[in-house]
Amino acid sequence: MAADERRNGDSASHNHRAPKKPRLAELLTESDIQSEFSHHQTGVARINNGSFGCCPGSVLDAQREWQLRYLRQPDEFYFNGLRRGLLASRNVITDLINADHVDEVSLVDNATTAAAIVLQKIGRCFAEGEYQKEDTVVMFHCAFQSVKKSIQAYVSRVGGSTVEVRLPFPVNSNQEIISAFRQGLEKGRANGRTVRLAIIDHITSMPCVLMPVRELVKICREEGVEQVFVDAAHAIGSVKVDVKEIGADYYVSNLHKWFFCPPSVAFFYCKKHSSESDVHHPVVSHEFGNGLPIESAWIGTRDYSPQLVVPSVMDFVNRFEGGIEGIMNRNHDEAVRMGLMLANAWGTNLGSPPEMCVGMVMIGLPSKLCVESDEDATKLRLYLRVHRSVEVPVYFLALRDGEEGVKDKDSGIITAYVRISRQLYNKTEDYERLRDAINELVKDQITCQNLP
Amino acid sequence: MASLSPPEEAAASYHHRQSKRYSSSSSSNGVESDFPKRPKISHPLPQSSNFISSSEIESEFSHHDLVFARINNGSFGCCPSSILSLQRDWQLRFLRQPDRFYFEDLKPKISESRTVIKRLINAEHDDEVSIVDNATTAAAIVLQQTAWAFREGRFEKGDAVVMLHYAYGSVKKSVEAYVTRSGGQVIEVQLPFPVVSADEIIDRFRNGLESGKANGRRVRLALIDHVTSMPSVVIPIKELVKICREEGVDQVFVDAAHGIGCVDVDMKEIGADFYTSNLHKWFFAPPSVAFLYCRKSNNGTAPDLHHPVVSNEYGNGLAIESSWVGTRDYSAQLVVPSILEFVNRFEGGIDGIKKRNHESIVEMGHMLVNSWGTQLGCPPEMCASMIMVGLPVCLGVSSESNVLKLRTFLRERFSIEIPIYFRPPADGEIDPITGYVRISFQVYNKPEDYHRLRDAINELVRDGFRCTSLSC
Repeated sequence: MAADERRNGDSASHNHRAPKKPRLAELLTESDIQSEFSHHQTGVARINNGSFGCCPGSVLDAQREWQLRYLRQPDEFYFNGLRRGLLASRNVITDLINADHVDEVSLVDNATTAAAIVLQKIGRCFAEGEYQKEDTVVMFHCAFQSVKKSIQAYVSRVGGSTVEVRLPFPVNSNQEIISAFRQGLEKGRANGRTVRLAIIDHITSMPCVLMPVRELVKICREEGVEQVFVDAAHAIGSVKVDVKEIGADYYVSNLHKWFFCPPSVAFFYCKKHSSESDVHHPVVSHEFGNGLPIESAWIGTRDYSPQLVVPSVMDFVNRFEGGIEGIMNRNHDEAVRMGLMLANAWGTNLGSPPEMCVGMVMIGLPSKLCVESDEDATKLRLYLRVHRSVEVPVYFLALRDGEEGVKDKDSGIITAYVRISRQLYNKTEDYERLRDAINELVKDQITCQNLP
Repeated sequence: MASLSPPEEAAASYHHRQSKRYSSSSSSNGVESDFPKRPKISHPLPQSSNFISSSEIESEFSHHDLVFARINNGSFGCCPSSILSLQRDWQLRFLRQPDRFYFEDLKPKISESRTVIKRLINAEHDDEVSIVDNATTAAAIVLQQTAWAFREGRFEKGDAVVMLHYAYGSVKKSVEAYVTRSGGQVIEVQLPFPVVSADEIIDRFRNGLESGKANGRRVRLALIDHVTSMPSVVIPIKELVKICREEGVDQVFVDAAHGIGCVDVDMKEIGADFYTSNLHKWFFAPPSVAFLYCRKSNNGTAPDLHHPVVSNEYGNGLAIESSWVGTRDYSAQLVVPSILEFVNRFEGGIDGIKKRNHESIVEMGHMLVNSWGTQLGCPPEMCASMIMVGLPVCLGVSSESNVLKLRTFLRERFSIEIPIYFRPPADGEIDPITGYVRISFQVYNKPEDYHRLRDAINELVRDGFRCTSLSC
């Protein structure tokens, strides 16, 4: 694939402004970066940015200022400062993701909240008879567990049915995913049903793969799927996000994972339609009915400071060569480099080719570790945290009937993967520590069954 | 009377928890296995001479804008700096190593907060106590459950939900979004204002319930404020709950946003099915944290409540669902046990604070009434730490938009923060009082704050000020 297409067709040309090019004097040095993340626990190989993200010290300082402003005179802040501050954040996001209008952009706590908003709406349509019972929601089997539970709570409960598409993994090309998805859509439409909603991850969580989201959305349109919700929890700060190009009806991404916001804040994009979209925040305030962005801007007394620091985050990322794009590219390149280093050291594989990775990579674990269940994976993760000060999530891959599996250099079947993340604060030593920890376990013939 | 843990017990258990936390250490190979020592509130158990002093109180609230007469604690509450500092510790603990915090610390620490609240409110089981962001969220949880019952046919379309006309604006919208939309009928009970006695409220409520039951309908939910917001009055909640039981109301939900730290909050005495109160208003928590109490029935079952933000904890009970609603900053919820130690630095603990707040607000209310020649919105025994005071009629308060502009004017011109209520005149009234300020008293307030309000209004009266003169 050509280099500029490696992000699944994201082209280099966008309508939004190029990041301000920082003068050399303004660029952050290596020691500046370490200082920004000096509140991280030292001595831990923190190679799991994907789960909880990170927030640099200067953004935490900006957050504290907002908090103090509110505490100083909360009434005045509520009447004069809050809305304006939230609008400034929303404008930054609108520009960043190439949305048409700031009215399409709401700020919510996290992707989990956005899922509830979409699924509550779908649930209402079933309950109020607008959809037929048995109409379907299609999603990938590895959709985030909270999203699956949300579907259970709001859709299954009112008679909607679901179709899960199995994500091929390890995966070698976008085409494998596209074929599986097409089959899933066919199942969803079988017997005259309508696929009311397709939920597509932009970047799946576990196992972690960058999905061909533009193609998948296109297929949804071709096949008459009514609405498409892209769960892009990991996307912003990992991969270029152009919501018009992607073309979904709903798109959510967390800003605290890869975009340096404090916990927690996400943007939720809802494409403007000609008809009333009827999405509402589930925590109903006096702003009910004024549109989701306004409803979300006041859900009762809360600390809204994570939502207010987005402009400060832009200042932070623009102190890096290439701004957020530069950060993303370097994270990707380093993550792949470290992934290949580990795969070579362990004689295993990557879960997906480099162009289907972001700042996270799945690497197969040696079969000799004998990871045979989710519990084993959890035990291994705990061992690494407690005994080796390595924080990394472990994924157990159960083989299904008829599947051959991928073999490692010892000709054993690979049944588990680690998901490494690479963010600004990581160093090569972090991944070397993981490499050595695993190698030592194998050398000492320790398996998951006899971990200390 | 709520049965609080005696101060000694609360402090002892707090210190016990402190000693179990990680102690500071760092080994020579650079691997820090533990968290840094967390600064404790430095005061030991107070003897009578060791109660918090005035200057210490000032210091605790020195982050407030000191230019302002901040006499509106009711809206957004307050948080002392020692609690803010502990909150920051919790935030840093998560940021330091979030995975470990999530897997090892978060759940047990939230459980601790729930246990503290359970004791404070005299609930039977920890299970009955869930922690949520605010009363607005609690309302969505309860009303969503009601909506499901309508949708799933357990309630008949047209069955009623009864609430007070003075219910909080957000709650009314929540009722519209969940109840009306799913087919429930909403009955609003008009209450008199100004209020002369609790009996007035009880009678009106009884009548309201009767209309709810007209034509063979069932009243499925009664939604009652413990302390109404605007205009603010303490509702005789125990009596109203009793009436609900007598009249066969299915469920009673008490919205006590101004509950804990303001009025006596005793779940067993009050007897409601659901009860919610913010802790950041009158219980010194940082923004924002509230509890939702859900009574377990005698056979141990609980109503099927769910947090609307569904996570992987769905189905594990509301308390567990609420303890994980996706990645969030849970620090306001984690700091609750520390707040107990803070309030116990005051004589009489939270009860002492409540009592003194009440006495002060009544005193200030009378002072204003005497100066302005107006009246209180309710008798002193029907207020807690907030009271409504009539504004002079000559100011010409005549609309909702008037009072907003007047409020802005008082803020900008006099640096006074005070909410104002427009009370529409009733038929036949001659020269009624149409504007009431709602003054609040919390530990950081001083009489000077209210003198400033007194003088500002008197100045406006002297200058012949009219609300209609305020620009659009």
